[in-house]
Amino acid sequence: MARTLDRGSEPIQPARIRLAMAAVVLVFALFAGRLFQLQLIEGEELRRRSEQNSVRTVRLEAPRGEIVDREGRVVATTRPAFGLEVVPHDVRDHGRTFAALGQLLGEDPAALASALGRPSRAGRFKPVRLADDLSPDQLARVEVHRYALAGVATDVRPRRHYLEGTLAAHLLGTLGEIRGDQLEREVYRAYRPGDVIGQTGLEAQFERYLRGEAGGRNVVVDVAGREMDVLEEVEARPGRRVVLALDLDLQRAAEQAMSEVQLPNDPRPTGAVVALDARTGDVLAMVSRPAFDPNDFAGRVDAATWKALTTDEWVPLQNRAIQNQFPPGSTFKAFVAAAALHEGVANEHTTVFCPGSYWYGGRAYRCWKRGGHGSVDLHVALRSSCDVFFYTMGVKLGIERMASFISGLGLGLPTGIALAHEAPGVMPSPEWKRKRFKERWYPGETVSVSIGQGYNLVTPLQLAVAYAALGNGGRVLRPRVVLRVEESDGRQVESFAPEVRQNLEIAPRHMEAVLRGLEAVVSEPGGTGGRARVAGVRVGGKTGTSQVVRLERTLGMDEAAIPKRYRDHGWFAAIAPIEAPEIAVAVLVEHGLHGSTAAAPVAQRVLQRYFEKTGRTAPLAPPPAPPVAPEPAPGEPAPAPQVQAAAGGIRAVH
Amino acid sequence: MPSIDRRSLQHFDWLLLGLVGLLLGFGLANLYSATRAGSDAGIPAEFRRQALALAVALPAMLLAIAIDYRRLERFATPIFVASLLLLASTLVLAPVTRGNRSWLIWGPLSLQPAELAKIGLVVALARWFQRHPPARIQRLRDLAAPALVAAIPVGVIILQRDLGVAVLTLLIACTYLPFTGIPWRAWAGLAGVGALGLAGLWSFFLKAYQQKRILDFLDPSRDPLASGYQAIQSKIAVGSGGLLGKGWLDGTQTQLRFLPTQHSDFVFSVLAEEWGFVGSVAVLALYAFVLLWGLAIARNSKDGFGAMLAIGVVGLLFWPAVVNVAMVLGLAPVIGVPLPLFSYGGSALLASLIGLGLLLNVSMRRYMF
Repeated sequence: MARTLDRGSEPIQPARIRLAMAAVVLVFALFAGRLFQLQLIEGEELRRRSEQNSVRTVRLEAPRGEIVDREGRVVATTRPAFGLEVVPHDVRDHGRTFAALGQLLGEDPAALASALGRPSRAGRFKPVRLADDLSPDQLARVEVHRYALAGVATDVRPRRHYLEGTLAAHLLGTLGEIRGDQLEREVYRAYRPGDVIGQTGLEAQFERYLRGEAGGRNVVVDVAGREMDVLEEVEARPGRRVVLALDLDLQRAAEQAMSEVQLPNDPRPTGAVVALDARTGDVLAMVSRPAFDPNDFAGRVDAATWKALTTDEWVPLQNRAIQNQFPPGSTFKAFVAAAALHEGVANEHTTVFCPGSYWYGGRAYRCWKRGGHGSVDLHVALRSSCDVFFYTMGVKLGIERMASFISGLGLGLPTGIALAHEAPGVMPSPEWKRKRFKERWYPGETVSVSIGQGYNLVTPLQLAVAYAALGNGGRVLRPRVVLRVEESDGRQVESFAPEVRQNLEIAPRHMEAVLRGLEAVVSEPGGTGGRARVAGVRVGGKTGTSQVVRLERTLGMDEAAIPKRYRDHGWFAAIAPIEAPEIAVAVLVEHGLHGSTAAAPVAQRVLQRYFEKTGRTAPLAPPPAPPVAPEPAPGEPAPAPQVQAAAGGIRAVH
Repeated sequence: MPSIDRRSLQHFDWLLLGLVGLLLGFGLANLYSATRAGSDAGIPAEFRRQALALAVALPAMLLAIAIDYRRLERFATPIFVASLLLLASTLVLAPVTRGNRSWLIWGPLSLQPAELAKIGLVVALARWFQRHPPARIQRLRDLAAPALVAAIPVGVIILQRDLGVAVLTLLIACTYLPFTGIPWRAWAGLAGVGALGLAGLWSFFLKAYQQKRILDFLDPSRDPLASGYQAIQSKIAVGSGGLLGKGWLDGTQTQLRFLPTQHSDFVFSVLAEEWGFVGSVAVLALYAFVLLWGLAIARNSKDGFGAMLAIGVVGLLFWPAVVNVAMVLGLAPVIGVPLPLFSYGGSALLASLIGLGLLLNVSMRRYMF
């Protein structure tokens, strides 16, 4: 009874309190249920999303392997390049961010914003790269203002750096983003779109060594995209070091000499230089002009540079040392001489009378010297480049024997150098002509071929290989560009031994006769190669001029008035020292008019540097001599005579 | 004069105090993590300010315990009027901060009078309902007077443009409604009036961003980078906590500042992320227990004022907790409502502890007849 009485006096109905309690329990149970749903049922998914929020995987690019010359001097290395990335998701104030970036980088904000585009929802977390290689100034400015630039991050990536710019550009090659068709190939299985790979030259051929293995790093970033912590890191394995056969001193000398070629009305002489070690086939120098700067390809090639390089009439990207083929002209005569001796159709003493022309098959083939050379033996024939002597030898040999021997020297076939797109050249033969033109061989063609003016085509590299073979007893070497590959710590990974592709076993007697003839070209009065002399060294060589257009077209014209593309090419092939040849050099000055004036001095500079290095010749005096030369001390040898002075007055064409 | 006689002390509600202490401790630890947010630069400034506020709030709580609540009844009207005056002064004195005029700032000190106005309102309503026992209120029109009492502070707070607090204050006033004898059909009518009122509020008082927040609540993924961002990040934070959480100071969402206003409105997300399901359910259970205990105090109180005061205090704690947690869990739109005892904010802490002091006051004096 008391309870009912009490109830009336109670300020609150207990039933309502119970209702309220039930409501509280219900609401909190609902919350617990919601927590159960979010944390236990959707927990995994939401956890993943929280990690997506805060964990970003950063790829660690492997630094590309160094490229060094045979003495370990760095030619191509890797330097840090600072890039700028924007994570669209993290950008707070789009307009302000890009206005600020534009100002800091000195670029158009609208262009930067449009580079970002409109990323999809999933793409919002993916960083977009807006700059690849910030200058130190730009980097400093961005870093100072980073706190106000949510979503903007700078990073550092390795970037290829060629220390001497255009030096040996064609040999070293270029990098570039992997192409779609390459991605589909098996060798590039491990690559991803956007990867930068070697596209030409050694960079391409030695890609698998030079490229390291990219590492990765999971980093925690905060809401502004700043890296707060590193969760785990797999270090990148740097690429391996490639040791070139190249000798940087010779390369520099060759580059320098090519730059100094003077031609009338041709401000930018083009051509190629190859220097080989005649004993091993080592490519000591390889120059092609015009050149390009491979550093331009280390990042993204800018459109203007690319356009300039690809539309240039003189095709700077082409490696003239191996990709272009030219008629060898008189440089070919040394091979005919060797063939004649080797095949026994002549000996050192065989003489031919040159009346100024050679009659064959009812027509006259002229010697370059209208008045004729008179009676010439092999030595004199080489020295004076007598056409009639070599017409005679060629006809005596017959095209089959000549082609067989000279093909054996590597002409008409790729040399097998470890570079892509090598041109094979042409060593004409009846069989070749049948295949090429479906025509029979005319005997008169043999006459033209004997002086290198038929269908003959060679690359500068082939010429150097063949001259090296003349100097080493007939061993045709595969040009070796890389000596070995090392780990970045110096451990050897692989080495490449010299490789003899063919041995013609030229008798020492025959070899000596040819070499002495070549020496006469350089050293004897009346020789055409006087400008290749190196003091104190027996240098052999042969000039060559290959006709580009029919003689009638330019006949009687002043050389300076002939348009460049109609001018003859100038060759010089050299081998030295004669007593035991070590180095073979081939120089082509495209449209250089004469081998003797354009090409021989270039070869001279390379040889000079080579023999200076080995202490067998005195360094050339620097061009501006001091006004008062100090008195030479008694007993000291007199300074070496200037080679150029000794070669003065040469006007021969061949 | 404040005094605690021996008999009251005998009946002191140590359990409730213990629960409050637990919540406070948990709240502070959590706030430390939320304000530290990945930096290692000593004790965060916000945390220090909150500790300072606690130092002020604890004596105030003690006072709320010590002064016999029946004595308070006599001063109910002056207390209410004083709190209203303080609140109204903001309209003149308060600078505009973050779009509203809620803060009185005096040097390094700042006070949000709306929080204290809630206490004043609870005391005033308790007194009114003591005079007019709810059980005897049968008609809606009988509520005209208390509605007017509630409307004054709510109106001022709306003028301050502080939507969250206005809604909360209104809800606290509504705590008394279920305890009246008004039949269900009357509630239906009230709901109709309420709906009209909400529509009016939407079109005339809500700012664009507030409307947007409500729309975002209805579809949080429609623009994850704008205001729905908060809701999504909060959901991710809560969910990624899993069963046991990522550990104190180890929540990635929190420490890397992906959570917006994580030390105030979204402080429960921090708790859920770092302490997981176990920790957050434990805290919710503590809360529920305090609220149930408060209701029990109301039931056991022998006089109307004590019971009504207890109901009011339960409402004072219940509504912000419910609105806040519902918002954090993605069950309600994002409105700036702090979680009592957990969120950063000295005024709210002061109000909560005074309220809990009053509850302890009523509780220990339940046998004094």
